[in-house]
Amino acid sequence: MVRESEYLVFTKNLVKRFGDVVALKGVNFRVGYNEVVGLVGDNGAGKSTLAKILAGIYVPDEGEIYVKGQRFRRLTPQKARELGIELVHQERTLAEDHPIWRNIFMGREITGPLGFLRIKEMKAAAEKLLNEIGLKAIPPDTPVKFLSGGYKQGVQIARAVQFEADLVILDEPTIQLSISEVHRVLEYVHGLKKRGKSCVFITHNIYHVYPVADRFVIIDRGKIVAEFRKVDVTPEDLTHILVSIARTGTIPEKYEKINLLNVAGSN
Amino acid sequence: MVSESRGNIVFNVLTTLWTRYRLQTTVFTIFCGLWLIFYAISPSSFARPFTYTAILSVAPFTIIPALSLTYVIITGEMDLSFPSIMALGAWVLTVTWHAFGPTPLGLILALLAGLMAGFINGVLVTKCHIPSLIATIGTMFVWRGFVLIATGGFSISIGMWRGTPIYQALVGRFGGIPIQIVWAVVIAVILWIFLNLHKFGAHVYYTGDNRVAAQMLGINTDRVIITVFMIHGMLSAFAGVLVALEMGSFWPALGEIYLLESIAAVVVGGTPITGGTGTIFGTFIGGLILKWIETGILAVGVTGFWIKLVYGLVIIIALIAQVIIRKREIRRMKIIGA
Ligand SMILES: Nc1ncnc2c1ncn2[C@@H]1O[C@H](COP(=O)(O)OP(=O)(O)OP(=O)(O)O)[C@@H](O)[C@H]1O
Ligand SMILES: [Mg+2]
Repeated sequence: MVRESEYLVFTKNLVKRFGDVVALKGVNFRVGYNEVVGLVGDNGAGKSTLAKILAGIYVPDEGEIYVKGQRFRRLTPQKARELGIELVHQERTLAEDHPIWRNIFMGREITGPLGFLRIKEMKAAAEKLLNEIGLKAIPPDTPVKFLSGGYKQGVQIARAVQFEADLVILDEPTIQLSISEVHRVLEYVHGLKKRGKSCVFITHNIYHVYPVADRFVIIDRGKIVAEFRKVDVTPEDLTHILVSIARTGTIPEKYEKINLLNVAGSN
Repeated sequence: MVSESRGNIVFNVLTTLWTRYRLQTTVFTIFCGLWLIFYAISPSSFARPFTYTAILSVAPFTIIPALSLTYVIITGEMDLSFPSIMALGAWVLTVTWHAFGPTPLGLILALLAGLMAGFINGVLVTKCHIPSLIATIGTMFVWRGFVLIATGGFSISIGMWRGTPIYQALVGRFGGIPIQIVWAVVIAVILWIFLNLHKFGAHVYYTGDNRVAAQMLGINTDRVIITVFMIHGMLSAFAGVLVALEMGSFWPALGEIYLLESIAAVVVGGTPITGGTGTIFGTFIGGLILKWIETGILAVGVTGFWIKLVYGLVIIIALIAQVIIRKREIRRMKIIGA
């Protein structure tokens, strides 16, 4: 028996349709406390859709969401944040004409009693954050449009650091990044784990997520088809499995016995 | 030695102004250039204080709606109905005064009418998903039609109350200075403060810069847009009241000439029509520039027919200057981290 409250996030039978497209077809997804989950799958598998439901941006058509044991039919962006869920979007969620510090605090400005901005405070915090995630020497006054793709991603991650949540969902955070920038993102995930937080790391690239994940969840065409503990598989195994799913839609027989979905009591 | 360091300070201040506020400095320079040209052509009229009080007495009618229109345009929307809202506000004040005498009640009701008209615009745009350009063409005709029907097309005089305290407070003269320009400055300062130092202003910018992102980050962009339309409605009604009081009467076509003038003031002031950025200071100077041209052309003694031509040229020159500045800014600034 699985109890919902044992998990930080637990979804039951999530269904999401966009017109005729069924993006999620009954997804049971869970994230434990202080666990890093690698969520992998092909283009259009439904990864971002799942992430957005957890962040309160999409409303699921069916199913339920448990967060820390509390049951919800749907979340709103505000509710998700209150519950400690932070999503770093795959799309750019930046106001390009505005400075870095404003972007970090976009929608959650530090304000005084009458709603006036505490600009100095936010700039100082932004400077500290940029240092922490390794973007030293960039003045927080710089408009975001003057940053490279990797640095823009850095600003989005800086947001998640600032409002450090219990669960940080990173949607393809390493896409378009240079090797050193990828390394920086992985460092950040390590840091989260060390501080007792949880993380969902969404990617196409097994090699990016492998070093940091505790568990891998494979999603294909709106369904979770396999889950593996890190100790049971190598990156090569995972690649093999993903290729097989892409080619034949099935998992090679020899991996089925370590697929957590088949292990009694885990589902 | 002393003069040199002082010179350095001036130089430093100027370079800082230029690097940080390139666009505004350009707008302001155009403004000063025009002034010099007019002064050179007609020193007699531009040395007289009367010329300036003449400009300052009419400039607020263009500037005040342009200031709040700047908010609307920054959110990425447009409002074409504000001249009709000006007329609506002026009409409400006029009929209230005729019923109850010249009291603040008329002003309060006029501002409420403006708020309501703005609210309707905002709801049409956000909840009914009608593009603002179209929605406000609709309400532009509705409110204009409304005042035409209500007055049967006739003007209504209110000049007989000139000299009453409220009249003086709104459009009187203080030491020769038209009070309405003080109102315009006060409104500009308040709008500047909220745009730059308040959370609401930040959300106005994000709504125009990246609306989807703003929504994903939990900003209620519909509420931002409705609020912005309401502020604009209220201040347009206020400007309409000032026009009627200055002229001493309400007439059904009141406000119509300010439509393109106010939009031009915003654009000349450096706010791109696509939204996301823009400044209150720029709009204020933009409005002054346009009025300066008008008065200047009349003062130098050519016919008023030249006004439109010069307007057009100045608008085009200002916009070309802005495009060049933005292009160069992007080229000069290296992409960091590439
Ligand atoms: N807002 C939307 N409107 C319509 N269809 C959508 C929308 N969002 C996603 N979809 C569809 O739902 C399916 C799943 O999309 P989703 O973005 O979740 O995939 P993904 O796994 O994140 O893919 P990628 O790796 O390309 O980011 C796709 O077929 C996509 O076209
Ligand atoms: Mg995606």
